[in-house]
Amino acid sequence: MSQLLSLKGALQQPVVLLQGLVLPVLLLVLWQYNSELGSSHAYAFVPLQNIYSASLQLLETGELWVNTWGSLKKAELGFLLGSTAGLILGALLAYSKVFNAFVSPLFNSIRQVPLLGLTPLIALWFGNGEEAKIFIIALASFFPLVINTFQGLSHYDEKYSEVARIYQFSFWREFKRIRLPQALPHILTGLNLAVPFTWITTTASELLFNAGAGLGNLMMKAEINAEMDILLVCAMTVTISGIFMTTCIHFLSKRLLQWRA
Amino acid sequence: MSFPLLSIKKLNKSFQRDQNNLTVLDGIHLDIKQGEFISIVGSSGCGKSTLLRLIAGLDPDYQGEILLNKIPIQGTDLKRGLIFQEHRLLPWLTVSENIHLALEETGLSRSEKNARVKEHIEIVGLIGFENAYPHELSGGMAQRVAIARGLVNKPDILLLDEPFGALDAMTRSHLQAELQRIWQHEKITMILVTHDIEEAVYLGDSVIVMSARPGKIKEIIPIPLAHPRHKDSESLFNFRNQALHLLDHTA
Repeated sequence: MSQLLSLKGALQQPVVLLQGLVLPVLLLVLWQYNSELGSSHAYAFVPLQNIYSASLQLLETGELWVNTWGSLKKAELGFLLGSTAGLILGALLAYSKVFNAFVSPLFNSIRQVPLLGLTPLIALWFGNGEEAKIFIIALASFFPLVINTFQGLSHYDEKYSEVARIYQFSFWREFKRIRLPQALPHILTGLNLAVPFTWITTTASELLFNAGAGLGNLMMKAEINAEMDILLVCAMTVTISGIFMTTCIHFLSKRLLQWRA
Repeated sequence: MSFPLLSIKKLNKSFQRDQNNLTVLDGIHLDIKQGEFISIVGSSGCGKSTLLRLIAGLDPDYQGEILLNKIPIQGTDLKRGLIFQEHRLLPWLTVSENIHLALEETGLSRSEKNARVKEHIEIVGLIGFENAYPHELSGGMAQRVAIARGLVNKPDILLLDEPFGALDAMTRSHLQAELQRIWQHEKITMILVTHDIEEAVYLGDSVIVMSARPGKIKEIIPIPLAHPRHKDSESLFNFRNQALHLLDHTA
């Protein structure tokens, strides 16, 4: 009876939600089907029940917590540092033509550098520890923030600057009251774009500098020991963390942009 | 008051466009007394909005003199308020915050600022909408907020650049009456630029008729009728026809 009721409840959910579930469920079924074809298949497509038990085991030993926390700390710190620096540079580029002329060619070139390929160099600059990882993670959010802040602050509506002049606004008041709010949608887009880059670089930097706690380190160990179930649990945890950060930014946007129709 | 509050002498303004010198204002002479309501009418292109922007101080590039209390104006000033044709409210600020903008560079205390904002929300009849965002307001309500923002720092002169031009006839008529009431109550000198002759005659102590290309003052029609006026009065109708006749001959 209770099962029937819950089924009815599920049917009342919006159709869109169900439509979004079709493909993931299909892929999971396909995955499970493949895993049952033979032992070599089971290695490449880890059966779902194995992933489940691996995650339970990792939770029990506390390994998952420790490493998730290690990654999360680095990701948040790198994200914060990188976005703040990106905001400042983007604002300087938008406000000063001279600064722009000096810096933007260099910036646009550096943007193309394959960062992760330079890890040996970065290790020489920052050592093998957390600093090097945080530097790489920070760069991932730095670039989208520079570009989006610059765009937001440059595409500027003259009619509001006249309002600022009529009311004798100081430079900072005009920035605070007019230019920053006007750029905010762009800046939030930049933050949104930065999240996946943040997690890609977090995991990658942990794979490259394998010291300390982190999901990348756990993945590296799993790879060496051929524990594909653990590898997948880590990938899932990274995904969930990314979704968590995106959701936070979504709510922040909703709050900050509530003035929009 | 022996001398005029605002005095404009030999004002010329031209724009450089593709190596052609385009004269927009040519030899404008105008004296405006403290507390007067001046309407400026003219066909589009007569430079009436340009004149208002010059008085506001938004454009320093002109020849001649613009004196406020005998002192040449320099740039914008809180003593000269301007209300634009579009409301120009900042969409990310509420009604209260938008009105508050006009007070932010004044030295008033926080409580005085809040009291003034409250008072002016009352004057324009928007109690209950303090925390609404501009997109939640109708065109008429948004323009009322703009009027409150223009009045709140008590300027010596309030310049109005076709403030009701974009509104529907009903709302426009209502706001015109309200502006007349506010002007009588606050005793602020106002200069209204409009293409609506009825509006110009209804509100103005004088109506300045301008001709176009180059923009010149064609005639100043005094409207010696007491305020508050009523739109359907016959004498107002006669002044309207006089101005209309002048404008027809300028076009």
